[in-house]
Amino acid sequence: MRIAIGSEPRLLNILRSVVRFRAQEAGFPDNEVECLAMAIDEAAANIIRHTYGGRSDDLLALEVRGYQDRLEFILEDWGPKVCENQIRPRPLDELRPGGLGTLFIASFVDECSYDPEFKHGNRLKLVKYLSRKVPSCDEA
Amino acid sequence: MKLKVRNLDKISILDSSGDVDLYSSPRLREALLAEIQPGGPSVLVNMSEVAYIDSSGIATLVEGLQLSRQTKTRFGLFGLRPNARSVLELARLHKVFTIFENETEALEKIASIQPFSGI
Repeated sequence: MRIAIGSEPRLLNILRSVVRFRAQEAGFPDNEVECLAMAIDEAAANIIRHTYGGRSDDLLALEVRGYQDRLEFILEDWGPKVCENQIRPRPLDELRPGGLGTLFIASFVDECSYDPEFKHGNRLKLVKYLSRKVPSCDEA
Repeated sequence: MKLKVRNLDKISILDSSGDVDLYSSPRLREALLAEIQPGGPSVLVNMSEVAYIDSSGIATLVEGLQLSRQTKTRFGLFGLRPNARSVLELARLHKVFTIFENETEALEKIASIQPFSGI
């Protein structure tokens, strides 16, 4: 399954719906379904805010690949290359708005990586295994 | 997200419902900034009908909290659903906000909490 949407915040709920549908279909428990929806939503929001600088006339694509033991979510954009080493959650002892999206992504998926071979923008792969014990929303 | 502001005696309640995300959180921010004023009413955010909140929504609440401290205004949340509570806990913000179980408790206790004098 692959969908492309405009880089408009109002369209993020479509991505969340797709993720929920595929995660439920794959057999993830309800709490992990919500965590996955949030992780992909946060990653897409980061593309809109940071990669595209808030512009709403660009595109981003989500592909969901189902396997026996996992789901893979591939997010693609066509913006400038992301510097991976500059992406980090803010220290949690700081009280300030922002910087939490990366924390939620890292907490709710098992693997998160950029494809260095993708030449025309950024391709982010988020992987969630079905049976692996990882922190979830309710356990965090 | 739907948003309604109820102005009670010395208390403003922001009833939010639906999804608080990158698209809708600017409206919540605008309402919070309008309500949290020096010498203004206590401000409560009713989250009992919030089905989803992302990092931008949480950032908006943090901004409201910071403004409440600057203006020495009482500020609290109530009615958090488990998923909203969980993300606040994950971000270690659940002990930073004043959180009430429900509106009844919030209305009973908001006047007794100390407005912060600054961060």
